Order: sequence, then structure tokens, then C-alpha cells
Amino acid sequence: MKKLFLVLLAMVFDTAIAQELFVFTEPASNMPSGSVGVRFGQSLLKEQIKTGYNYHFMPEIMWGVNKNLMVHFAGFISNRNTTLISEGGSFYAKYRFFSVDDLHSHFRLAAFGRYSFNKADIHQEEIETMGHNTGFETGIIATQLINKLAISASISYEKALDNKPDYVFPEAQSNNATNYTLSFGKLIYPKKYTSLKETNINVMVEFLGQTLNKNGKSYLDIAPSVQFIFNSQIRLDLAYKQEIYASMLRSAPNGVYLKLEYNFFNVTNF
Amino acid sequence: MKNLIIILSIVFGISISKAQIVKAEIVATGLTCSMCSNAINKQLKTIDGVEKIDVDLNTNTFVVFLKNTNTVSPKTLKDNIEKAGFFVGSMIITMPFEKLSIADNLTFSEKKMSFIFIDSKAKILNGNTKVKVLDKGFVTQKEFKKLQKAYSKYPSYENGNENDFHLKVI
Repeated sequence: MKKLFLVLLAMVFDTAIAQELFVFTEPASNMPSGSVGVRFGQSLLKEQIKTGYNYHFMPEIMWGVNKNLMVHFAGFISNRNTTLISEGGSFYAKYRFFSVDDLHSHFRLAAFGRYSFNKADIHQEEIETMGHNTGFETGIIATQLINKLAISASISYEKALDNKPDYVFPEAQSNNATNYTLSFGKLIYPKKYTSLKETNINVMVEFLGQTLNKNGKSYLDIAPSVQFIFNSQIRLDLAYKQEIYASMLRSAPNGVYLKLEYNFFNVTNF
Repeated sequence: MKNLIIILSIVFGISISKAQIVKAEIVATGLTCSMCSNAINKQLKTIDGVEKIDVDLNTNTFVVFLKNTNTVSPKTLKDNIEKAGFFVGSMIITMPFEKLSIADNLTFSEKKMSFIFIDSKAKILNGNTKVKVLDKGFVTQKEFKKLQKAYSKYPSYENGNENDFHLKVI
């Protein structure tokens, strides 16, 4: 494990140019003011308890309200209960409150909050307001670019509420958790930019962890991904998420992700 | 006829002293990707008076060419870079001066804007001249801290009025 981490670290530090458009986490940087992004996220996750796979579809609209504030609206659709049904949605806001930029580096801090609602059954100890639990999450993100290498970390508090109208959050489980993430990104193509039309390829590795505050149970996942950016406007992410360890009950931690995002610039500008 | 001459001379006079920017070379900071450059490129294109933009993706340099009739200020350019989510690391503007004699701490004003030459020797500027904008937000934060110390003798630089632009001929 330690060796793997060192290898990954060496890989990342070797980069010339890095990326911070991570697949599983948000950087402290925001999208441009007045731009609108549309994202279609899909995931296919292997069930650990029963056999088979879960399919989740997550359409998302993102809007840069101004240079410091952006919001997301997402919908959660899944076939976890045999047919494809809409289970909930969420509202997310991120505010960048600190930036120190230099020619070859930047450090940014942002605060974020999310409220989600979900009507699906509660079937695991893991708290996930992105598609499983009604509840909220709030936290801080720090993103640092050093010699064009991007490293981003976040810490957040997440609290699950009842999945109304039918499912009460089980009293025996911890209804709140601390989440932490660490992400590295690197551009592998092109080595030297020639035009805005050119396809960019990025590789990333992210570590995603959670500790349940009431009982100390936790998990840690690793998520490597490859990202293609076409025409400086369309983004395609392919990722795989694998549990490294877990001491809590999780229904389907491992699987593949496919995300497609399109950005419209200067849609609204005040 | 006399009135017409007066009007013409006023118009002519204004056109001579007009502090117009014909070109701006902006290095943006904090970029990590061509998507970001694209965002800046598209944001700069929304400015009224922009003719074309050349982008160097490897150095994050945006060369903005402006129309003859433009009234674009350095602040407009800076604000639009910031709207895209980034900052200005350096801004060099080209202005067409006609026999303008400058001296250290000399100010010339145009509409609401004031341009102040600092760290400059007395000379006459004629034709397209490149000047660097030295104010806060037009240089990196690190450089601004250095300049603040170096230029403490210029009170207007300390004041940081958003329509005062401190220039150095390069």
C-alpha cells in the first residue's frame, strides 16, 4: 500500500501540466461566471450483498453565478429496485473565498454545501447524499497548483435525515459522518498545446474516505480515471472506483463511472 | 464657420490626446487547461471593441487586438479575466501616443481614467508605445507586494483608485 502510494506520488510529481477538473471531487476553483454546464453521469456498481449490478444515472446542470459562486442541480435515477426510477435530487453551492495566484502556482479555498432529498430505501451504513440519502453536506476545499501540478483536498461534514416519505433513518446507525478526499491530476496529452481544438487527455487518481462520527466505522476508496477534453468544451470521464478497506456496511462500493459534460460559455452575465 | 473650426479643433484635439488602447498582451495566472483558456477567450470576446484575440496556450498569453473606435480600459480587460475565474499576471498595453512628453509622476486623463507614468524618465512618446500596467490586480500578488514598497513615494499608487492606471514604458 505504501509502495503504491509512493509510485503514484512519483507519477504525479513528474508532470509538466496538471488538471483539477476531478471526476469525484470538486476543486476550489469555480467555473467561469455566466457559463452553464450540463453533465450526464452514469455508474455501474457491483452489488456486494446481492448479486448483480446497480445502474445510476445522474443528470446535472451547473451554473457559474459570478466569479466566486457556482451552483449545481442534480437528479438521481437508478434501477436499484429493478426498474429505472427517479429517486431524488440535490442542490449544491460552492463559494471561492480565497485565492493566491502566481504565474506558476495558485492556492484556492472554497466552502460548499449541498442539500439532497431521496426517497429510496436506506440499505447501507455509508452516508451518501449524492444518490442515496436525504440530508446535507458542508465542507471546505483547498486546491494547490505547484509547478503546474494540481493537488486538491477536502474535508466535510455530512448528515443523513429520513428518506421521506417511506424510510426512516435507522436509529442504530450513525446519521452523520466526516468525509475527506485527496485528488491528484495530470495532463498526459498534449505535451505542448497547439490549438484550442486539440483533444486533451488527463489522468487522475483520487482517494475518497468517510468516518461515521457515532461509531468510528470508516472506509477508503481509490478512484483512478482518465479524462478526455474535446474542443476545449466537451469533457468525457472514464473512472473506476475500488474500495481499499471498509469497516462499515456498503451495498455497492466498486464499479465504473462514465461522465459526459458540455460547457456553454457566457450564457448569463450580469 | 468659426464655430465649425472650434468644434473641429476640439474634436481634433481630443483625438490627439486620446488615451486609447490598440492592443493588450495579457498573461493570465492560475490556468491548468485549455478549457480554462477557452473560457477566458470567450469571455474577452464579449467585450465591445475587441477585434480579435490570439491565444498562446503554452504561456497563457492572450493578445487582444482592439478596434479603432474602442473605449476599452485596462480595468474592463482585468474584470473579464476575473469573471472567467482567473487573474491577470501581467498586462502590457500598446497605446498610440502623438508627441506626448512624459516625466516621472506625470498624469494624463481621459474621461474617467487617469494614466500616471511612474518609475519613468522624461521623454517624448511618439507612435505605438508599449506600457506595462503596474497596479494591484494587473501584476501577480507577489509582485504587487514588491512594487508597493518600491513605489511608496507615489501617493496615487498607494491609494489604488480603480480608475488610476500606473504605467511604465517598456
